[in-house]
Amino acid sequence: MDFHFTAEQLMFKEQVIRFAKKEIVPRVQEHDLKGEFDAHAFRRLGDFGILGLHFPEAFGGSDADVVTTVLAGEALGEAGVDGGLTLAYGAHTFLCADTILAHGTNAQRAAYIPKLATGEWIGCMGLTEPAAGSDVASMTTRAEKQGDRYVLNGNKMFITNGPVADVAVVYAKTGKDLKHAGISAFIVEKGTPGFSAGNNLIKMGVRTSHTSELIFEDCEIPETHLIGQEGGGFLMAMQTVEWDRSALLAPFVGGMTYVLQKCVRYAKERYQFGRPIAQFQAIKHKLADIKIFIEAARTLCYRIAWCKDQGRPLNHLAAAVAKLFVGDWGLGPANDAMILFGGYGYCHEYEVERYFRDSRLAPIGGGTSEIQKKIISKLI
Amino acid sequence: MGEVEKQLCERIKGLLSADTGVDLIQPEGDRMQEARTTTVRWLTSLGREGYLTPGVMDGRNSVSLVVIQEQLAALAPSLFLSVEASTRIFGRLIAVYGTSTQREAILPGLTSGQLIGAAALSEKGMNIENDPLNTTAIPSTDGFRVTGSKGHVVNAALADWIAVAGKIGGEPETAFFLFEKGSKGLLIGDRLATLGYEGAVISPLRLEDCPVPSTHVIRPIDGNNVLKTVRLWEDQVLTAASLGLMRRAFDGATAHAKTHQSGGKPIIAYQEVGFKLAEMLTLFQTSQLLAYRAAWMSESGDREANALASCAKVFCAESAEKIASEALQILGGKGYLRGNPAEEGYLDAKYLQIAGTSTEISRMKIGDAVLAY
Repeated sequence: MDFHFTAEQLMFKEQVIRFAKKEIVPRVQEHDLKGEFDAHAFRRLGDFGILGLHFPEAFGGSDADVVTTVLAGEALGEAGVDGGLTLAYGAHTFLCADTILAHGTNAQRAAYIPKLATGEWIGCMGLTEPAAGSDVASMTTRAEKQGDRYVLNGNKMFITNGPVADVAVVYAKTGKDLKHAGISAFIVEKGTPGFSAGNNLIKMGVRTSHTSELIFEDCEIPETHLIGQEGGGFLMAMQTVEWDRSALLAPFVGGMTYVLQKCVRYAKERYQFGRPIAQFQAIKHKLADIKIFIEAARTLCYRIAWCKDQGRPLNHLAAAVAKLFVGDWGLGPANDAMILFGGYGYCHEYEVERYFRDSRLAPIGGGTSEIQKKIISKLI
Repeated sequence: MGEVEKQLCERIKGLLSADTGVDLIQPEGDRMQEARTTTVRWLTSLGREGYLTPGVMDGRNSVSLVVIQEQLAALAPSLFLSVEASTRIFGRLIAVYGTSTQREAILPGLTSGQLIGAAALSEKGMNIENDPLNTTAIPSTDGFRVTGSKGHVVNAALADWIAVAGKIGGEPETAFFLFEKGSKGLLIGDRLATLGYEGAVISPLRLEDCPVPSTHVIRPIDGNNVLKTVRLWEDQVLTAASLGLMRRAFDGATAHAKTHQSGGKPIIAYQEVGFKLAEMLTLFQTSQLLAYRAAWMSESGDREANALASCAKVFCAESAEKIASEALQILGGKGYLRGNPAEEGYLDAKYLQIAGTSTEISRMKIGDAVLAY
């Protein structure tokens, strides 16, 4: 097993940290407080090449390997970028664009990937429904073939980037009685008659990513907007899991490193009982637990990325283990960090509470912890 | 896992599965000679397979070493402690810090499994961090005379050679004194009755004005580093022991959950059991990766290698206890009976958090590392 990073990979990580600290981080707190999507920062991510990092150069990407992509995600977190913007990036790049890139026709790729790589267009992905969360196969959104068109009807729920997206990858049933095998994926553009997004949902965390319902009422799209074959949608959704469990988790892990750095600084500056609180064992204990989590979690993300770079088929077990660990075992250290800051930790200004709120999404989004346990216990 | 490690793991498995009683030696009193004979028999077999040498001469941890250690620790937990104390702790001390005469006299026998070694570090408890060692050496005509006592020494009653950590009168740094079995003034106490690792021979020892020639001393080289390094090796061994324990307990629980029926279906089909196993496997795989990465960092000389070794020790040792406890729960009534992997693991697990650098002290070290103190 090799845990080695190339000099280029490490250098790029440093560049991302510097870029994000200068151009994005100063804007984060205000946007989080207002619950606003930072469209300017999103475009800057595109300009810097992050949105299309692993896309082919021909489509405006940088042809980066998966490990580099994971390190970039980690770097954003480590620089202090909030979980909302990194989630918006993740939904855009991995859940929307990558599905078109991996399964779309050349015409579909050429039409969307370059715009998505720069951030000129924003993408989202619609899988979850109001009554179909973990139980994906029970979705009721339908796509009926009528001549050379599909007609979509149904609602999607909790869709990251829903209110701001220009294009959506939408999963809907084409086979009436089929379960997983009846799910197909479609591209739906903003402005298509019958397609609308609901209001931004007010969330506990990841507040700078906008989340809404997607509504389809006799929404007609050309048949050329089907991605791949009819019935192939479920597998496509599952294939995004690799990204979901590595590049999308990496910002949470990087964010914890940012939090640890803040904790270290605070613990040295904050005096109680005549000495810096860093000298108390109870504080060192918390710092140690945060550090242990970071090192354990990042290794899990690297493993998935490394395996994907080696061309190995997705190991669903390893992916679920990473998701479960980062989600569930991250809550304790996030809480520790907030407590370390005492009353200040409870206040917005000190940022640890933002990380606490943001990280609370990790065991919920992209497959709950319970679903991960279900997957793992089936594969044991 | 590379081909070489894979083959070695298979050979270890083949070797040990032939004798299931390997880990149940519980020697007492006059049966100590018998225990020694058994241990040497296993050591020589493992030596023939090439298990005893990796990482000894250079003192370096490596991913491939951890992989094979995990295999032995899963198959024979107590034998593992004994073998590692002899090779990867005592053996490394001689190989890395010993004189050429010491190396020539001891290492060939040790790495072929003919000789057993032991390292005696801690005194009253298992901690060496906060209190100075009381074991003291006073110069005499041709060497030193050593007086002191040691608390929990793995292999003490079996060993041909024991390295005892102590201070040379007036010097601040720790030296190691090498005693041969039966040395005058070296008194080995009775085997301690322990909660777990029942097959391991752990005893206290006492040195009463025990003469040691200068040729049998490992003098401090660079400050306190020898003692710290030996402690690090011990932690690495205990980290691998934790991985083995987790594997053994997890495999036992999984096999039971798949075969034991309740209400007409295997109990793994119930979420209360299946999800428990999922959490256990998550902890186990995360522990493995963290331990491998820590080993890799030590191999490649990363500046954070020591902090990562502490992270791995704490995480793996604590996860081992959790996994053993859950495994026992899954095995239910069967798990509560003596002689199954979950019960053994449950009893063994505490040792991993107490021995070496305790979890408490390890956390303080990690804290200091992140604070750059």
